[in-house]
Amino acid sequence: MIETKRPPQNVRREIITLSVDGIDLALHLWRPRGETKGAVFYFHGLQSHAGWLWEVGPQFADNDIAFFVLDRRGSGISGGERQDVPDVDTIVADYVTAIGHTRELIGDDVPLTLFGHCLGGSFLAALLHRPDFTVRYDATVFCSTWLGRLHAVLGEEERAALAAETSTEPWDAGLRSADFTDDARYRDFIDNDDLAARTLTRRSRAVLLALESLYLDPSRPRLPDVPAAFVSGLTDPIIDLDATREVFQGLFADGGLAVQFPTDRHYLFYTDVSRSLVDWTSTHTLLQGLDRGV
Amino acid sequence: MGGSQHWQEHWNSRRVPFQEECRRARAALLADLGDPGAAQRRVLADIVDVCRDSLHWKERGYDTVGADAKSFREVLPVRRYDDFVPEIDRETRTKGGVLSCSPVLRWLKTSGTTGAPKRVPYTLHWLLTYRIPAMQAMWGTYLDLHPAILDHPYATLDTQTVHESVDDFLYGVQYQAISNRHPRINSRDWNPPWATAPWFGLEAPSAHAGRMYHRIRHLVGRRLEFVSAINPSTLISLRDLIAEHGPELVRDLAAGTLAGRPYGEPDPSAARHLQSVLDQGEFTLTDVWPSLGAYSCWLSSSAGLYRSKLDGVLPGARAMPFMSCGTEGVTTVPVDRSLDSQPLAVGQAFFEFVPAEVELGRLLDAGERVDTLLFDEVEAGRDYHLIMTQGNGLYRLWSGDIYRVDAVRNGVPWVHFVHRDGVFHSFTGEKITEAQVTEAIEQALAAYGLAGGLYLCGPRWAEPPHYVVVGEVPRPGAELDHRLSDAVDRALAAINIEYASKRTSGRLGALEFRTVGRDTIAAYTESRRQLGNATQYKYSPFQKDTDFVADLVGGAGVPR
Repeated sequence: MIETKRPPQNVRREIITLSVDGIDLALHLWRPRGETKGAVFYFHGLQSHAGWLWEVGPQFADNDIAFFVLDRRGSGISGGERQDVPDVDTIVADYVTAIGHTRELIGDDVPLTLFGHCLGGSFLAALLHRPDFTVRYDATVFCSTWLGRLHAVLGEEERAALAAETSTEPWDAGLRSADFTDDARYRDFIDNDDLAARTLTRRSRAVLLALESLYLDPSRPRLPDVPAAFVSGLTDPIIDLDATREVFQGLFADGGLAVQFPTDRHYLFYTDVSRSLVDWTSTHTLLQGLDRGV
Repeated sequence: MGGSQHWQEHWNSRRVPFQEECRRARAALLADLGDPGAAQRRVLADIVDVCRDSLHWKERGYDTVGADAKSFREVLPVRRYDDFVPEIDRETRTKGGVLSCSPVLRWLKTSGTTGAPKRVPYTLHWLLTYRIPAMQAMWGTYLDLHPAILDHPYATLDTQTVHESVDDFLYGVQYQAISNRHPRINSRDWNPPWATAPWFGLEAPSAHAGRMYHRIRHLVGRRLEFVSAINPSTLISLRDLIAEHGPELVRDLAAGTLAGRPYGEPDPSAARHLQSVLDQGEFTLTDVWPSLGAYSCWLSSSAGLYRSKLDGVLPGARAMPFMSCGTEGVTTVPVDRSLDSQPLAVGQAFFEFVPAEVELGRLLDAGERVDTLLFDEVEAGRDYHLIMTQGNGLYRLWSGDIYRVDAVRNGVPWVHFVHRDGVFHSFTGEKITEAQVTEAIEQALAAYGLAGGLYLCGPRWAEPPHYVVVGEVPRPGAELDHRLSDAVDRALAAINIEYASKRTSGRLGALEFRTVGRDTIAAYTESRRQLGNATQYKYSPFQKDTDFVADLVGGAGVPR
């Protein structure tokens, strides 16, 4: 558990290079200098990358939590085609490698939470349903994620057309920093971050659709009995909370845990609830390490 | 005062812990000075540990280097700040992990030699392990020498650091001067008891004069024991500001106002005292505060030229030195009252030295190997280039500073800053370089459609001190003198933020530009060559004084 009487601690911030199929991927890590008592592996969304988490990472580490973020292929400082999401197998292989490396670094006894933010939550849900993902994890958190978004907003014919899309023309995601945060400093950062992705190739959207299909397929495999939580603001300007909660509840047999933080912006880590979300996620993670004798 | 006593509660709650933190840091400093070799080995091992897994070290193959001085110096090259710029560019995006394995919490802004401000990574590791302990150790020395610093909440006026809102960011991360400690990063960040005092916090104006007025208004009538500054000019300006705003201060004290607005209770006694001091005509800071027993600021090298002035402004108050440091790192920390020299801070960085006569820039430009000396290989009485490896990942950084080794005591070099390599003078820490002045002149001349020629620049001691430049133009004249004085001054302020700060606060006067005709300076330089060592004499834009002004333009400036 967290030592509550100590002053803030020194933490490390590392960037581990993972070579997958000849492409160098950046696995970012913030960790305590002392014992790691828990770990969080973060799936970033469409636009962001690990460089957005410069305040969050050290806070997790100060809570004795090792915080891992993979710059997805083509994102952040990772190699790969920019503004492009490769095929499902490549994406899954990248995450399998990164999370496998994470588990190897932290050891078998440290509880590991998989945390997907926004589109990252869809990547996470897809990964969980892939048989080649066998790394043990102890909790999942879906944060401000619209699970099954493309299936919800597109009709059957539109989905069929999208699935056949092969164009590399850019598709504007239409993201507005004002939806992410009210804080001018963060808005300015989002608007001027030259590593941020604001468009995707049209064929990438077909991949996103295929990823959704992995967890929306009625014949999907049953997930291990691991605590799952859905976290969001009270409202969200980007996602349909009712729609995504319905998908979330369908994915997890026990319905999972729903947690709301008092904000109406999308990117909780750039709002006043950021610290609370870090602390909640930290304790949620640490508690999975308890031996409850069952 | 001000309706809130919160800051006094903070002062009371922090007094003993602060004292203890400073005492411990000073004890650690003294222990390091007792075994400097072990301290340097520890620092190097720590830096290798925090950098070994960084992207840059792994990409360059430095990750296999041993934590010993020999292999470290064999493998890693001596670098200049500009050599780090590509890595710093990457680090601004990642906020750590490129140069060292520590989160970058802030970027520190400081003047660059080429005009663009530098970006020095302020990492958590550097903060906790080096920068804060250095501050604490220095204040540990102050507390040891002058315990009255913590006698009561109004005992100390600390002008070394400020708390100002930050409006400049690099990819979301604050970009600010190291002296701005706002906001506090965590409970281990610099947190003196007076951190929330009303003259120290955000409510104090950010402009120099306004902030000084704020400080004075709060402290006149109080038993001030100690005043601390970095630059001696700050202390001089404190007295000048009281003289300039005396009547206003008396009114504010008598009426219970601050700058005319209601603030606390009237203090007629303090108002009467200040009025009596002002009535003297010439007065000192110890007239204002008879309790003032000590002050601290830079007092070595060119700052030492202020000493007689300080003696006049602070008679009876004992001087204590400030650490020798820059944004890039701490070089010395005072351990006693010595004003001219301090021990190398062997626990702050891994230090290397190169004799000052070596043309380090030329060697680096040529990509040649640079042989360095360690702290235990330098000799008293000689000047050296300083090369520092800091805990923020800037390794083997040629600081550009020249230090003189005054003595070696118990194996520790006692040193003082002499000057910037290639820089002739700095009145009050602005450190203007030839490159900066050249750029400023070029910009100013270009604005008037003129091409630049040779120039000479020198420091003139006056009230306030300022720089005088004599430059060649096609058609010299008094009107052009006036225009170029203003234009070069403004351009230099835009290029060098320290110069701008000193100009704004009135510690430096406006630059004076005198025009002369083409070839005038070339002829003058040539004539000087004949007077001295003809072989070694060469044109140097920076002069040690302003004698050349009279030689070139005469007293009335007629001969052009």
